Amino acid sequence: MNLFRSEEHIERWLAGRAPGATISVTTLSELAHAWWSDRLPPEWEPRTRELNQAVLHRLGLTGAFWRLA
Amino acid sequence: MDEPDLRLRALTYGLVVELGQAPTADEVAEAGGLSRDEVLSGWRRLHEQHALVLDPATDEIRMANPFSAVPTSYRVRADGRWWYANCAWDAFGICAALHTDGRIETACPDCGDALEIDVRGQRPDDESLLFHCLVPAARWWDDIVFT
Repeated sequence: MNLFRSEEHIERWLAGRAPGATISVTTLSELAHAWWSDRLPPEWEPRTRELNQAVLHRLGLTGAFWRLA
Repeated sequence: MDEPDLRLRALTYGLVVELGQAPTADEVAEAGGLSRDEVLSGWRRLHEQHALVLDPATDEIRMANPFSAVPTSYRVRADGRWWYANCAWDAFGICAALHTDGRIETACPDCGDALEIDVRGQRPDDESLLFHCLVPAARWWDDIVFT
């Protein structure tokens, strides 16, 4: 889960491996804030798989690649 | 996840923020009035439920996501301290968890050029960068350190 300068840099880094998924850093930041902002309060409780999947869905991260186990 | 394990997790994360790094089992035991064995057995249950990640060689914390207990290529300046994140997602996650702006320093894994991103109001100042996730979501926890 890395940051890259451009698509060209990702392709070169993959070196023939099958690509995963690429999203903008802006979407990543939105995802991180939706995913992690509740982690430190003492009253935290684990989210269900369905709630986590909904976080991804709201940001357009859908399809087989983004389907959680 | 039962109530004692939720309390142990809250205590552990509270110490991460207080100390600026992941606490040892001994530090958590002292802070919580627990034995070291109680902390280690609780941490193992939390590890199995993906609430934190242990180093199998030491039984100490490897990840208190989004924080990393070991140096990584993702450094984050937030809340007056430097932190290590487990990956790019977690780097932004540290700003999110601390509810603060921050600065992320890393390098492009392809060319090695430094990437420095300021996060202000939950937005990165350089919107040209891309995030690549190699492992499908269903397999993230097969090997979370690789993911």
